[in-house]
Amino acid sequence: MEATFLLTLLITFLASFIGYELISKIPQTLHTPLMSGSNAISGITLIAAILIYPEVGESQLLKIIVLIAIAFATLNIVGGFSVTGRILEMFKKND
Amino acid sequence: MIEIILLVSSVLFIFALKLFGRPSTAHRANTFAMLAMALAVFSAFNFDFSKYDSAFYITIIVSGLLGVLISKRVQMTQMPELVGLFNGFGGGASGAIAYVELSGNSLPLSDVFVAIFSMVIGVFTFSGSLVAVMKLRGKLNNFNKKLADIFSVFLPTVIAGLPAFLEMDDLLIEFIILVALIAGIIRVAVIGGADMPVVIAFLNSLSGIAAMSAGFIVNSIILIVAGALVGASGIILTLLMCAAMNRTLLDVLKGGFGGTTINNEYEKDPISTSPEDVAIQLSYAESVVIVPGYGMAVAQAQAAVKELTNTLKDKNIEVKFAIHPVAGRMPGHMNVLLAEVDIDYEDMFTLEDINSEFSSTDVVIVLGANDVVNPLARTDEDSPIYGMPILDVDLAKQVIVIKRSMSPGYAGIANPLFINDNAKMLFADAKEGLENIIKSFELV
Repeated sequence: MEATFLLTLLITFLASFIGYELISKIPQTLHTPLMSGSNAISGITLIAAILIYPEVGESQLLKIIVLIAIAFATLNIVGGFSVTGRILEMFKKND
Repeated sequence: MIEIILLVSSVLFIFALKLFGRPSTAHRANTFAMLAMALAVFSAFNFDFSKYDSAFYITIIVSGLLGVLISKRVQMTQMPELVGLFNGFGGGASGAIAYVELSGNSLPLSDVFVAIFSMVIGVFTFSGSLVAVMKLRGKLNNFNKKLADIFSVFLPTVIAGLPAFLEMDDLLIEFIILVALIAGIIRVAVIGGADMPVVIAFLNSLSGIAAMSAGFIVNSIILIVAGALVGASGIILTLLMCAAMNRTLLDVLKGGFGGTTINNEYEKDPISTSPEDVAIQLSYAESVVIVPGYGMAVAQAQAAVKELTNTLKDKNIEVKFAIHPVAGRMPGHMNVLLAEVDIDYEDMFTLEDINSEFSSTDVVIVLGANDVVNPLARTDEDSPIYGMPILDVDLAKQVIVIKRSMSPGYAGIANPLFINDNAKMLFADAKEGLENIIKSFELV
């Protein structure tokens, strides 16, 4: 248990570090698509909703709250990627 | 099998972030990220799709379609609102999941703390983003005072009710949610419009952090990895935006900056000019730099900018764009609007790249920008914007400021650039001003 937790922390640290390193060199022109794209990625919390949905048990209220979470996260993912695609389409025209 | 899918997904996310770093590869980045997301979501089902009822599938399909619909129908100028809105949904989802975990199963104590953290950050992101969206839509311009009034009544009531809440143990979580909701509203509502690039980037980062901590509760490595990537990239943008204003994140979040006029008095009257004169002036120039600001977005003047650029380029006049990092309402806002009308990103320059060129530029057109070209940032130590990196347009041979009036910018201070000997004011809305200049060209 201890070792797993430490390993998870290490992964968290490494992922943050990679994210920081990759993004720190990004040109200003791409700030908006980057933000919009990473915004879509934050909807990955949908996974947590999918994992807990079968386990909420009898409570209708909790079930509805998970469904709201699913709706929000799906909107975030699908809408986010779609908008990012639209923004990037405009940069592509320039090539 | 699931582990391998998740590994591929993590690697794809990291590659996607890398590809986002260059204009030529950025559109592939989006495809990579979508693929990574699809794999990650697929893996969460663990090949058992029968565990889920129809309510589940209907919710996913309907909200997915809704997401596509909203994103396709929104205009480019409303992009900051849309990004803010989707961001709020992401935060809200993480907050809701943490709430369900807290009120359902009995979590180990360490997970309880992580869940509370995730819930608070998620709910804060949700309410804060929605307020940011309303602010961006200009719906909350007089909100600060109203809010302060409401708050002064509300806060004592909450504090008075706190002991009662604490005795009702089972409502503690709901109480925390309420506080996080209100904190999000208040925090963002007191921050002025021109600080929105920082706020939007910061909320973006928070939604990643909320997702990451949700990953700790449900033991999902991919959630932790993706959340951490988003959190880190959001923090970078936040810090970049803060540096561009020479202010700290805490200072921005404290709010109260700008929005009020501190001093808008001028020693002399500015020199006013006409579209015809500007057209003549431009036709004798060899190099022109256009400095777009939020005024260009408000007036939807991008198409007119493109037309003027074409007119000038046809006359073999060099045209460049100087874009301040915090111009507009989100990071990179001006670049997107210019890209929308097919202006080459090779012609868009950052502050560091173009500041040394202003002294050899014939004409600078300032289009709906104010504080980011205010020379007081270099000279007046008492000024609220002192030390902020600005575009040194006052060093150019001639400056034309297209602006509706002499009203101050966000910082609420006079801009001595407007009465500089080399500056002329064209009093007009950004779009109308440019269109009149273009018309005058046809007559020259």
